[in-house]
Amino acid sequence: MSTPLMNRRGFLKGALGVAAAGSLAACAPGGPSTQPSKLAAPTASASSVKGEITIWNRSGDLFKVFDAAIAKFREAYPNVTVNHQAVDIDAKLANTLISGTDVPDGSFWDDAKIGGQAEHLYDLTDLIAPYREQTAPYKLSVNTVDGKIYGVPWDLDPGLLWYREDILESAGVDPAGLATYDDLLAAARTVKEKDPTTRPIHMEKTPFLSQLWLEMLANQQGTSLTDAQGKLRLDSEEYRRIFGWIQNAVKDDLVTHAPYLEAADVKTLDSGQQVFVPWAIWWSFAPQQLLKATKGKWRAAPLPAWTPGGARSGAMGGSSFVIPAKAKNPELAWLLYEFLCFKEPGYTAVYGPNDVYPGGLSTSVPSFSPALDPAKPLFQPIEALGGQDLWKVAVEAAGTIPAAAPIPWWWAQSVDYLGNNVQRLIEGKMTPDQVISESAEKIQRNLIDRS
Amino acid sequence: MNQTRPGPLQYVVLALLAIVFLYPIWWAVSSSLKPAADIIADPLSIGALTLDNYRAMFADVPIGTGFANTALVLVVRGAMTMFFCPLAGYAFAKYDFPGKNLLFGVVLLTLMLPTLVLIIPLLLEMSALGWVNTYQALILPGSIDAFSIFWMRQTIAAIPDELIDAGRVDGAGEFGIFARVVLPVIRPGLAALAVLTTMNVYNDFVWPVVAVNDTAHQTLQVVLSTLAQNVTGNRIGADFATVWGELLAAGSIAMLPLLVIFVLLQRHFINGILAGSVKG
Amino acid sequence: MSLARLDRTFLRSTRLSPYLFIAPFFVVFGAFGIYPLIYALQLSFMRWRGAGEAHWVGAGNYLYLLTSPEFWASLGNSAVMWLLIVPIQVMAGLGGAVLLANAKLRLRGLFRVAFIAPFVTPLVAMAQVWIVVFDQDYGLVNYLLNLVGLPDVGWLTSTAWSKPTLALLFLWKTTGFAIIILLAGLQAVPGGVYEAAALDGASRWRQFWSITVPLVRRSMAFLVVVQTLAVFQMFAEPFVVTEGGPYGSTTTAGLYLYEHITASDLGTGAANSFLLVLLVFGLSLVSVRLLRPKDEVS
Repeated sequence: MSTPLMNRRGFLKGALGVAAAGSLAACAPGGPSTQPSKLAAPTASASSVKGEITIWNRSGDLFKVFDAAIAKFREAYPNVTVNHQAVDIDAKLANTLISGTDVPDGSFWDDAKIGGQAEHLYDLTDLIAPYREQTAPYKLSVNTVDGKIYGVPWDLDPGLLWYREDILESAGVDPAGLATYDDLLAAARTVKEKDPTTRPIHMEKTPFLSQLWLEMLANQQGTSLTDAQGKLRLDSEEYRRIFGWIQNAVKDDLVTHAPYLEAADVKTLDSGQQVFVPWAIWWSFAPQQLLKATKGKWRAAPLPAWTPGGARSGAMGGSSFVIPAKAKNPELAWLLYEFLCFKEPGYTAVYGPNDVYPGGLSTSVPSFSPALDPAKPLFQPIEALGGQDLWKVAVEAAGTIPAAAPIPWWWAQSVDYLGNNVQRLIEGKMTPDQVISESAEKIQRNLIDRS
Repeated sequence: MNQTRPGPLQYVVLALLAIVFLYPIWWAVSSSLKPAADIIADPLSIGALTLDNYRAMFADVPIGTGFANTALVLVVRGAMTMFFCPLAGYAFAKYDFPGKNLLFGVVLLTLMLPTLVLIIPLLLEMSALGWVNTYQALILPGSIDAFSIFWMRQTIAAIPDELIDAGRVDGAGEFGIFARVVLPVIRPGLAALAVLTTMNVYNDFVWPVVAVNDTAHQTLQVVLSTLAQNVTGNRIGADFATVWGELLAAGSIAMLPLLVIFVLLQRHFINGILAGSVKG
Repeated sequence: MSLARLDRTFLRSTRLSPYLFIAPFFVVFGAFGIYPLIYALQLSFMRWRGAGEAHWVGAGNYLYLLTSPEFWASLGNSAVMWLLIVPIQVMAGLGGAVLLANAKLRLRGLFRVAFIAPFVTPLVAMAQVWIVVFDQDYGLVNYLLNLVGLPDVGWLTSTAWSKPTLALLFLWKTTGFAIIILLAGLQAVPGGVYEAAALDGASRWRQFWSITVPLVRRSMAFLVVVQTLAVFQMFAEPFVVTEGGPYGSTTTAGLYLYEHITASDLGTGAANSFLLVLLVFGLSLVSVRLLRPKDEVS
């Protein structure tokens, strides 16, 4: 459930928090020990557990959705009081973790943050063990540091291929035939021949989001910026394939280079200049709320594969729940998150139809496979997608997402190098080899070597 | 100065300059009162007035808490600055004592330090003291600042020594001279100091972001600086017009108190700067 | 100790009271200035990510910075900002001050308030207004350009315009302050000097250059030093408006320093601060020397 208009600022704030947090840990007496604390399951029965927990969530609509879901939790655990707070988590959580002042019992957090903060969080490996086999491998991988799991995997954000159904039909392109990225290029050429004013493929102009997008394309091939040991793997066949593909698309003038859903993007989406948007599921809110002229004309398909038969999706963004090592009632927080993530009434309350989203929440899907039944949709078909059953497309795509690795703490900082160089590639100012060698050199020198 | 009557050209130049300086403020305030969609569609018009942007902004961000905290910090920290900085400035301006130049040199050197460098060590200190999420963390560091001392030294140096000596002859104690002779004379300078201090405290946002992480203690600038994310995070699909409308509403409302204080104190403020700045 | 007794024993003593008067500053500075400062100095010779053990690296952090293209680029960005800001501000400030100094000017108070009003607006709020006004697609400025048939300009999104647009924010906010500072210098110039020059038949322009400018040199020096400090430590403007982009073109020295902190590279951040202090100190000395009134040159 990534915030659609996310930007880098939150990451900067969080990182500042890392610094602050770490400093305190090293100096303040009684700081968290380096040995992670392991959380064990409470043994009491549902009706007998008692206590109060403070839970942090992002503010806004999402907060209201969780509020309703927490009400369901109270029905199951009548003696647990949940103090549910809307908080600017990016700005606050990291600082709070170590200062140890007013620490919540549990919090929502970006997957990208968790890897760098493990020492301040409960080790949840044993608790998640019963659900491990049924949890998306990608979500487990980003929450695992040194073999231990630190976040309760929450949403999965599969990448999809968003396309204009009407334009493809009139150009004679069958969306079901878009099996590889080469097919996509060929289709884009066909569309452009039919209407030379189109630049069919969206490419992202915000450096931060373009790097997040790149990671989706990499994750699809089972790789990511670093491996589990933190070693850079940018100089690889997989990344070269992505960059080469981008370069070809740019060379043939098939690209609309616009910042995610800002004015220039919305204008060219609505004008018919853009036909294909390979992007995470959370793009679904664009046709629902931002696009006026082309509402109802967009559809979603799985992403094409990089190699014939390869995975048809990759993850782009996502969040999990963490339980701080200094939580006062960690067991109760676990019960809540277990309920939300792994119990049917819990995830149904969040994703299913509710007061805030009458058709259900369609900007991500759960990461727990029993929840991902194509035949049992949590959210309803979407009118702005011509009544398409997005649920089915999304869960089928989600099922193919490969595992990755923990996201390194410097990921957001590396946008200055990799994200910017991806921009230069899209602008035709750099070759794939230059992007790889320049970014790798700078990331190594300025980020990895200085850890 | 050459006191010939200024010609029309000079008035035109001055009027143009005034427009350049005032227009962005006017535009921000007037746009914040327009329906959000019109800010983008028709940035020049002033048509239907509405408080919708303000309503939405109040619903989305705890700006009231921000104001209250800023006011509290401002009053306490302002009082400390307004008392201790003239006092130190007086000592540096009107006394000779061993080590004076060295000590004043230290004051001047601290002016050169980027405040950013001290942030992390300072935060460590706050944590060791158990001061994270407290008002004293927001108030004490930097409460008696070098620039204000420097400024007050300049202002007080302009007071004739005879005035001070006269006070001494009358039998006033050293502190009595400061309180009864120096302070009344430098009233315009104090007004300038009050405005400058208000601005500094009001605008500070790096330290408050770091020192405090609960909503209850966040200051206005912290609320403002995270506003855009709060607004966009709040509504999946919030469009630009909505965000901008709320940004402008928050900006306008944050501007207001300072502008009012400034307009009320402007004569003293400007005279104070004129008196305190380096002459000739 | 009663207040009266305190006054008798200490405050009446001309020897002790100045120390007592400056003591509060040094107490606060000692507690919240010296301690972090020494800590930061020590950190600048260490590698420390905020967590775990710190390692002594000698001058390693300084060497890393001095050999980093990014470090030099940040100084370069600040130098360009300085060039875009300080000369323009000194000239505009002097012009504005000369116009305002005339006692026969009507509406003088009004003009003074108008010029200095931007100075009292909250920076974060105005920075956000800048984002809106200079937006490439929906901003007011491009709207006006389009009205007269000119194309959109990427004020904040092109490397060519990002610095001037930020410099404009700085100029807009602080030029009124510069005018008042220079006005203070001008008003100290005795009117008789001009009358004598006028009798000698010196033109207005000549009067300005040969009398006004030399006489406000010290105010100018003050202004240049204060603004040099401000420009090289500039942080909030790029942080809020551009986040240092596009392509790092607005990553000023101050923002680059902050980026080490956000990257948890605390030792390098501290080292960067001290390099910046040295630079700013040197620049201030040079400005003071260059602008020193001629009669004081020994």
